[in-house]
Amino acid sequence: MSLAGRIFKAGPLPDAAGTRRRDTWLTLAACALGGGLLWLAENQAGGYVVHMLTLSGLFVVLAVSYNLINGFTGQFSLEPNAFVACGAYVTALLTISPLEKEASFILEPLIWPLSVIHLPLLPALLIAGLCTALMAFVMGFPVFRVRGDYLAIVTLGFGEVVRVVANNAQSVTNGPLGLKGIAHLTNLWWAWGLAGATLFVVVRLVHSSYGRALKAIREDETAAEAMGINAFWHKMLAFTLSAFFEGMAGGLLAHLITTISPSLFTFFMTFNLLIIIVVGGLGSTTGAVLGAILFTFGGEWLRVVEEPATLFGLDIPGIPGMRMVVFSLILVGVMLFARQGILGRNEFSWRWLLARLGMGRGRA
Amino acid sequence: MSGALLEIEGLSCRFGGLLALDSLDLAVEPGALAGLIGPNGAGKTTCFNLITGRVRPSGGNVRFQGRPLAGLRPSRVNRLGVARTFQNIRLFDDLTVLENVLVGFHGRLKANFLSAILRLPAYAREDRRMHDRGLELLDLVGLGRLGQERASNLAYGQQRLLEIARALATGPRLLLLDEPAAGMNPNETAALARLVRRLRDDMGISVLLIEHDMHFVMNLCESLTVLDHGRVIARGAPREVQSDPAVIEAYLGAGLETAPLEGGHA
Repeated sequence: MSLAGRIFKAGPLPDAAGTRRRDTWLTLAACALGGGLLWLAENQAGGYVVHMLTLSGLFVVLAVSYNLINGFTGQFSLEPNAFVACGAYVTALLTISPLEKEASFILEPLIWPLSVIHLPLLPALLIAGLCTALMAFVMGFPVFRVRGDYLAIVTLGFGEVVRVVANNAQSVTNGPLGLKGIAHLTNLWWAWGLAGATLFVVVRLVHSSYGRALKAIREDETAAEAMGINAFWHKMLAFTLSAFFEGMAGGLLAHLITTISPSLFTFFMTFNLLIIIVVGGLGSTTGAVLGAILFTFGGEWLRVVEEPATLFGLDIPGIPGMRMVVFSLILVGVMLFARQGILGRNEFSWRWLLARLGMGRGRA
Repeated sequence: MSGALLEIEGLSCRFGGLLALDSLDLAVEPGALAGLIGPNGAGKTTCFNLITGRVRPSGGNVRFQGRPLAGLRPSRVNRLGVARTFQNIRLFDDLTVLENVLVGFHGRLKANFLSAILRLPAYAREDRRMHDRGLELLDLVGLGRLGQERASNLAYGQQRLLEIARALATGPRLLLLDEPAAGMNPNETAALARLVRRLRDDMGISVLLIEHDMHFVMNLCESLTVLDHGRVIARGAPREVQSDPAVIEAYLGAGLETAPLEGGHA
């Protein structure tokens, strides 16, 4: 028997203390390796690649936290664009210098406390996360009175409300003009640091008694209630927690693209996130991560199909928009051949990887 | 009636024009092994849904250990000590057998979600205890070796047992079993009867059950209440109820002389 095989000899319960310690070390090693790769990318790769890597980190945060409420708790909701917008606006309003604010609010001046506040990025992000979580908490009371399709419609409506408010609350958001001059502070470390924190919290939560309760609500809400689980408060927990991280990701997004306006936070953003988690596999954190990375880079790789090319002696002129056609075809393909998404509800585990490497055994 | 574990007075439930339950009075004493029987559509499951807060009553009240249950959420009723199983099995299909039972412990978990995320000692201790107790409960119902199996992969009879284990995990004083023997073969039914008796004798859990298998009911229950069209038509010890003309009429229609409920399946 190989060493790897002996290490994870399958017992009656996979969570023996020794296995858990081994997994912790492997995870820490993987984090160190990931950090090393990021450092390498920052120093060796071009600015464009770094930008895409940073963006994919933010999408990982968004997808993983969106998956918590949609995939694990099974509450089909369509509001992340509202949370991202809230986080982006709050962070930006806190970090832009008072002078810059005075210059950009042309039509109506910014209201008082905001006009003088000037905070560093970290506290601004935390405040933005808390504000977004608070918004989710308040929104949860009316929203979780309904389920299923109705929930989707109600949350979709809230997403639009936030955008409309951003468009019209001139003295806070500067209306359609948006906020300019946001410092470019988001780098690889911020994005992937937040991604790591989100993954830590979500994975730990999902693998705890609370995670089991959330999945129980997804599987059968009536039975979960009958077993003493207050479905409303557990949905609130998942919703608020995902809003907290989505808000912070919004803040980092604002500091990556440096200009925000309400038109950035349309339903299209939610739609993209939905594609990511559905293609990755609803209810799989690994799937959400994979989906987010594939989506961010896939869009760029597919630019190839828009360039003029010579195929079998045929000159094909570049067709703008061809990318979206190919993208749609891939999407249809995934839904035809892997209806549960790439990973279904499976998760990456060290047990599985070691089995693959050491024994060539199947999924553990 | 004072001293009863569960007291139901004048409980009614109306669905549109249908009076599903018509001022039901029922008391379950501590340590009781009581049965609720009646033809299909008599209002038995509705009665369970009213007790557990899944359906709001149109009138009357339910008290558990002297405490009114009116208007409480099902999860609240459960945490007060009333657990149930479902007639049409409602397991968490995508979770493992053990996880299904562990979900039952969650309602009484003391550690908050932050402590669970950070795996603080308080949570870790509770989690370990839940696992140990969960395995014990699976052993108790005879599913000890199937803990890592997906719940939906279990055979029908095993799924019913898992529902009981999950209900037990919530730490009930009163267990409501909705047709626990449905779909079981005679061997499984006999084992189930032994299990239910053990729950009462060894664990001190009072049981109120709905069942159509008359052999099972007559041998297990110590008192019966018979419903028909939402009304109580008879109550008493199994022997008395069995020969009650009103009961025979409800089950088989008028004009029969013999006692058809003797033994056998209804």
